Amino acid sequence: MLACVRQFFTKRGVLEVDTPLLSKTAPIDTHIEVMAVHFADGQTGYLHTSPEYAIKRLLTVCPIDLYQLSHVFREGEVGPLHNPEFTMIEWYRMGFSLKKLLHETVELIQLFLENVECQEITYRDLFLTYVGIDPFATSAEELHKKAKTLKLEGSPDWDVDTWLYFFMSFFIEPKMEGLIAVHSFPSTQAALSRVRKEGPYAVADRFEIFYSGIELANGFHELTDSEEQRCRFEETKAKREKLNKPLLPIDEKFLQALKIGLPDCCGVAAGFDRLLMLKEKAGSIKDVLPLSWTDL
Amino acid sequence: MAQVSTNEFRAGIKVEVEGQPYTIVSNEFVKPGKGQPFNRVKLKHLMTGRVIERTFKSGDRLELSDVVETKVRLLYTDQDGASFMDDNTFDQLHVSFDIIGDQKQWLLEEVSYTLIFYKGAPVEVIPPTFMEMNITETAPGVRGDTSGRVLKPATTESGAKVPVPIFVEEGDRIKVDTRTGEYVSRV
Repeated sequence: MLACVRQFFTKRGVLEVDTPLLSKTAPIDTHIEVMAVHFADGQTGYLHTSPEYAIKRLLTVCPIDLYQLSHVFREGEVGPLHNPEFTMIEWYRMGFSLKKLLHETVELIQLFLENVECQEITYRDLFLTYVGIDPFATSAEELHKKAKTLKLEGSPDWDVDTWLYFFMSFFIEPKMEGLIAVHSFPSTQAALSRVRKEGPYAVADRFEIFYSGIELANGFHELTDSEEQRCRFEETKAKREKLNKPLLPIDEKFLQALKIGLPDCCGVAAGFDRLLMLKEKAGSIKDVLPLSWTDL
Repeated sequence: MAQVSTNEFRAGIKVEVEGQPYTIVSNEFVKPGKGQPFNRVKLKHLMTGRVIERTFKSGDRLELSDVVETKVRLLYTDQDGASFMDDNTFDQLHVSFDIIGDQKQWLLEEVSYTLIFYKGAPVEVIPPTFMEMNITETAPGVRGDTSGRVLKPATTESGAKVPVPIFVEEGDRIKVDTRTGEYVSRV
C-alpha cells in the first residue's frame, strides 16, 4: 500500500520529500506531546509530530506540490487507534481550494476503501443534527446540562472546547456511519488553518474526515501570515503553561520563512496505519503495524 | 494519600471517586488528532461491585484509595462471621458474614485468603482462585457417561453448590474455580 500511495502522488505530479524527523525545535500544539531526545553533549532535539513546519519552510523557497510519507512521534498515545510512532501521509497543494483538496483526500482514501462515497457537513450542522446545540453559540453550562440529559459523563469544570471535543469523541463519532467530511470548525480549534468570518462567527478553514467515526485525515487552508502564526504560537504556549505541560521552544526559523512568504496553499495529513486498519478490517492498530509499541 | 494520573491508570489500581473506593477495570485512551485527549475509565466499586464509567481529561489525577491487602488464614466460623489469623502478625480478627457475602461458600479452615481493608476496616474476603474440597452430597453417578460433558448438582464441604460431571461421587476431592464456581478437575 505504501507503493500505491506513492504512485497516487506521482500520477498527480506531487513530489516526494523526506524532511528530518529530528529537529532542534518542536511543533507546538496544546494537546500533542512531543518526544525530546537528549544528546550526550547536553543538546536537546525533538522528534516531529508531523513534517508540517519543515515542508512549509521548503515551500517558501520552492512553491511546488510536495508530499511526505513519514513516521511521526507522539508521546503517550497508546490505544486501539493509537501508537506513539505511526505513519503519516502529508501533502501540500499550491493554489488548491480546501474543497478541491478534500476531494483529492477522498480519492486517496478510496485507494484503501473502495466504493465509498463521502458525505460533507459543516461542524455547526453536525452538532445541530446530532446534539441539537449550536457549537458557535453555546456555553459550558449548556453543554454540561445537555450531557446530563443524554446520560453522558463529564465534569462541571470543563470549558466549552473540552465539552465540544467530548461530544465529538463520545457522542457524535460513535454514531457516524460511512465516510464523513466535517469542515468549517470553530476558530478555537483552528490549529494552523486560516480563519474567516462567516456571519457573526469566526470559522476555521479546515476539514476532518471520518470513516465509521474513526478520524482519518485532517486538512487545512494553511495560515500564511507570520504575525498571526506567532500569535497562535504564543496562545498555545500560554495554554500549555496553564496545563503545566513542558514548554517547547518556538521555531523562529519557521516564522522567518513565513515572513518571506508561504504561497497560498492547502495541506492535509492522513493516518496511513488507520487506513490500512480499515482496509484489512483490523480491530487494532497493532494488527497492521510490523511491530507495535507493546511488541517492542 | 498519594495521587495517580490517568496515564498511570492500570487495571487493579484502587482509587477514590466521589469519596468511594473503586478498582480500575479498564482504561481506554480516546484522542482527536488535534484535540483534547480523554481517558474513559471503567471502575468497579470495591464493596458493592457496581461498575461505573467515568471520563477524565488525560492528565487528570485521582486520589489512591486507602486499601491494604493482607494474607489471612481461616480459624473457624461461628453464627455471625468468620475468624481469621493474620499470616504475618498472628493477630486474630473477626469478619461478619455481611461483609463476606457470597464468598461465604468458599470458607474452609486452614485455607489462606486475601482480606481487603479500606480505611482500616475489612471490606472483602477473596478466596484463592482455585480451591480443593470434598464433595459431601451428590446423586450417585450413572455408569456409561464418562465424557464429563453432562453435569449434575453437588454440594461441597464448604457449602458451595458446584455442578460436577456424572462420574464424580460423594467423598471425591475436586478442584474448583472460585471466580466462576465451576468444577475444574478431580484431584
